[in-house]
Amino acid sequence: MKNSIKVERAKKNMTQAELAKLAGVSRQTINAMELGKYAPSTILALKLASIFEVEISQIFILEETDWE
Amino acid sequence: MKTKYLFPNKYKKAGWFMLIPSSIIGLLIVIFDYEPNFFDFNVPAFFIDKIFGDKQIFGMVKNNLLNELFGILTILSSLLVAFSKEKNEDEFISKIRLESLVWAVYFNYGILLLSFIFIYDLCCLICLPF
Repeated sequence: MKNSIKVERAKKNMTQAELAKLAGVSRQTINAMELGKYAPSTILALKLASIFEVEISQIFILEETDWE
Repeated sequence: MKTKYLFPNKYKKAGWFMLIPSSIIGLLIVIFDYEPNFFDFNVPAFFIDKIFGDKQIFGMVKNNLLNELFGILTILSSLLVAFSKEKNEDEFISKIRLESLVWAVYFNYGILLLSFIFIYDLCCLICLPF
């Protein structure tokens, strides 16, 4: 799964720490997600979509390898 | 995140405060075989295997309790350090906790397996130098 958290964050002009505070997680969690090392829970994904005011599918994109 | 099985964050610091001195002092006690007389007690034991004596199940045994005391302190404080909440305990940390627990179990059973295979009859091991 790819995600565009970094792009959306840049659009809102937010730091990782600010986004972390809004979403109620640690900065390390935001960083791990941006690097693709961690796939968030549905709840956290929905929170991020709500913070960025976009559809969830705009942030998280399935890849071919996810079907394997 | 709500978890029922973790201590509050403040216990982490308390744990470190206990763990560092008690593990250092405990190690020194074991290395230098320090056994002061006033820590000698008769304590109940499940199994007693004296080097030049009989094996016995359930009974009292005379033992120096100082190393036990520091062993207990070290174990309890390391539990506090490992199982206190992080400042920001979120879902990513739960995942890390789960993964490290799995590795810890593998490691533990690895050591158990090695001890099964390579350590026989502790009594003989102690007797060998004599």
